[in-house]
Amino acid sequence: MPQHRNILILIITIAFPLVGMAHGVSSSDQGTLDNGDLLSYIYVGAKHMLTGYDHLLFLAGVVFYLKGSKDIMKFITVFTIGHCITLIGATYLEIRINEHFIDAVIALSAVYKGFENLGGFKRCNVKSPNLLLMVLIFGLIHGLGLSTRLQSFDVGNEQFLSKIISFNLGVELGQIVALIPIVFLISQWRKKESYQSFYKAANVYLLIAGVLLFVYQVYHGLSV
Amino acid sequence: MKNKVLLFGLVLLFCSHDMYLKLDSYFLQPNTDEQILLFNGTFDASENVIDRDRMVDASLLGNGQRITITENQWSEKDSITYLNFKTGSAGTWVAGVSTKARNIEMEAEAFNNYLEHDGVKDMLESRRKNDLLEEDAIEKYSKHVKVIFQVGDATSNDWSKPLGYPIEFIPQENPYNVHTGDSIVIKLLRDGKPLTNQLVYADYKPSKNGHTHDDQTKMHSHDGGEPHSHSDDMHDHKDTTEDHEHTHKHGDDEHSHGHSHDDNDHDHEHASGTTKSHEHTHKHSNKEEHSHDHEHDASATKNHEHEHDDKAKSHEHTHKHGNKEEHSHDHKHDANATENHEHEHDNIDIEQLDHSTKPHTHNTGQEIRTNEKGEVTVQLKADGIWYLRTIHLMNSEEAGPTHESNWATLTFEVSHDHRDNKDHDHHDHDSEGIPMWIFIAASIVVIGGLFFIFNRKK
Repeated sequence: MPQHRNILILIITIAFPLVGMAHGVSSSDQGTLDNGDLLSYIYVGAKHMLTGYDHLLFLAGVVFYLKGSKDIMKFITVFTIGHCITLIGATYLEIRINEHFIDAVIALSAVYKGFENLGGFKRCNVKSPNLLLMVLIFGLIHGLGLSTRLQSFDVGNEQFLSKIISFNLGVELGQIVALIPIVFLISQWRKKESYQSFYKAANVYLLIAGVLLFVYQVYHGLSV
Repeated sequence: MKNKVLLFGLVLLFCSHDMYLKLDSYFLQPNTDEQILLFNGTFDASENVIDRDRMVDASLLGNGQRITITENQWSEKDSITYLNFKTGSAGTWVAGVSTKARNIEMEAEAFNNYLEHDGVKDMLESRRKNDLLEEDAIEKYSKHVKVIFQVGDATSNDWSKPLGYPIEFIPQENPYNVHTGDSIVIKLLRDGKPLTNQLVYADYKPSKNGHTHDDQTKMHSHDGGEPHSHSDDMHDHKDTTEDHEHTHKHGDDEHSHGHSHDDNDHDHEHASGTTKSHEHTHKHSNKEEHSHDHEHDASATKNHEHEHDDKAKSHEHTHKHGNKEEHSHDHKHDANATENHEHEHDNIDIEQLDHSTKPHTHNTGQEIRTNEKGEVTVQLKADGIWYLRTIHLMNSEEAGPTHESNWATLTFEVSHDHRDNKDHDHHDHDSEGIPMWIFIAASIVVIGGLFFIFNRKK
């Protein structure tokens, strides 16, 4: 019975950040931005993070690896610094990368984390790269993806920097909202006997989902 | 003079109130929350919201069903009325709004000007012929607008079903089965019957991610603006017309007067209360940029002028007042006969003029007459949001109004056919991406399955 309850929690937690609209730019989002103030940028930023499963997969992978709230705070802060730099910088400088390319790399970040969490480097007798550095690098990459998404909108020229910062703030708020159930689930499950099975299952899923997202992005990148 | 100004303002104010239902993208995902915008003004900008009690009908048509839009689905912000709705299953959907008739009283000159600005040429010609140009008018008008949009990939036949409005555009084929470069036949119905010999205007606004592969109509953008294309008929620069632009500031608010001419002098007027001094900077084709500085007191001086040493035939003034949106005044004049000219703003009506004197697109684009079947054939030259408009105006038989008009608009989006496999670099974000429910379902199945496997092994 407790095992079934765990499954239910897992399902709800996985589904929680994914419920809502698709990852892409919707016309209603553009409408929200067109007719709203800076708050609308915060809203769209938060919505993008909450529905951006590729970002959340990577974050879940990072949280899996860490023990203790201090560690989690440290790594999430580094990830946040990384994506803030490129999100604000690239958008402000209007540096836009092919969205399929950047999304494919982001998908690989989930693969990387799943691989590392499952002891892939150890099995290959390779020393794991410094995780903090890797989280920073992936943070920069995720920021480029977020920037590309923001640049898909017709932002206009007025209050340009304020809009970018508002969108970024929304991303951070969305990240916090998404992380709460992820951290809660993992930390609660960690105490249970079935945690190792859950850990394996979730990280194998990260690998599979990351590879599929990568293939999907490459396929679409090549077909347009 | 003041009366003329007031009249001019009223004409522009009235003639600018086209109504459109539009979306940012006309390609939507099934079962998602979306918004349709109801604009009352021009296609580019809404000037006021529409009260719900003005609507005789507001409906959605999709998946074979007509759904009445309820009052709580409407919201408004600034000057735009929003229809909030959830898309249903995949298909070609229609939304429509029909408004109650209202009367507007106009002096003869205002009425004539409105007919001219809005392209109601037949009535204007009739007034000319019958020597009625001096007659004032009371027009009873109502507006009936539609939008056709695509939900998901599968098309449906809902686009072909009339909503039964007094005047209504009905495409003769699904707009989402045609592509840029094609033409589309659209029938105009008046009280359910084909309306023949009626002037219809069709134009488009490039969609945000729109582009074309046509070498003749290359899409591009300026200064971070929306991408757009210039087909040969979109603008015309005569050899004798030289272009330049005036840019100047009123306090902190910059605005510009862009025009082309080759005459000597012209002047124009401002009513902005904050206008004190400004500078005109302009360029002439193949000539260096230069500027004219001058000062004038805003409260006392509504008129000012500047001089040009070159010759002009036609030009456009584009400027802003305060923080209002940019608008422009186009006019032509004969270089030989007209060396000086002026235009003016009235302080009292400046708020209205700020709205109503935006660049007018009322009778731009393709001007087509319906044939004996009440049909027009629109050439879809470029990617974009296409809009058709017509004003059917006739003499009224009712006591009270002298004229009765029914306004109709229709909007839909046209994209190019990707099957031609030409290079392009944009993505339709609304039509791509893994559907969320697939991702969630697959994630749950995979994690659940793996968990059971690993837990059993243990």
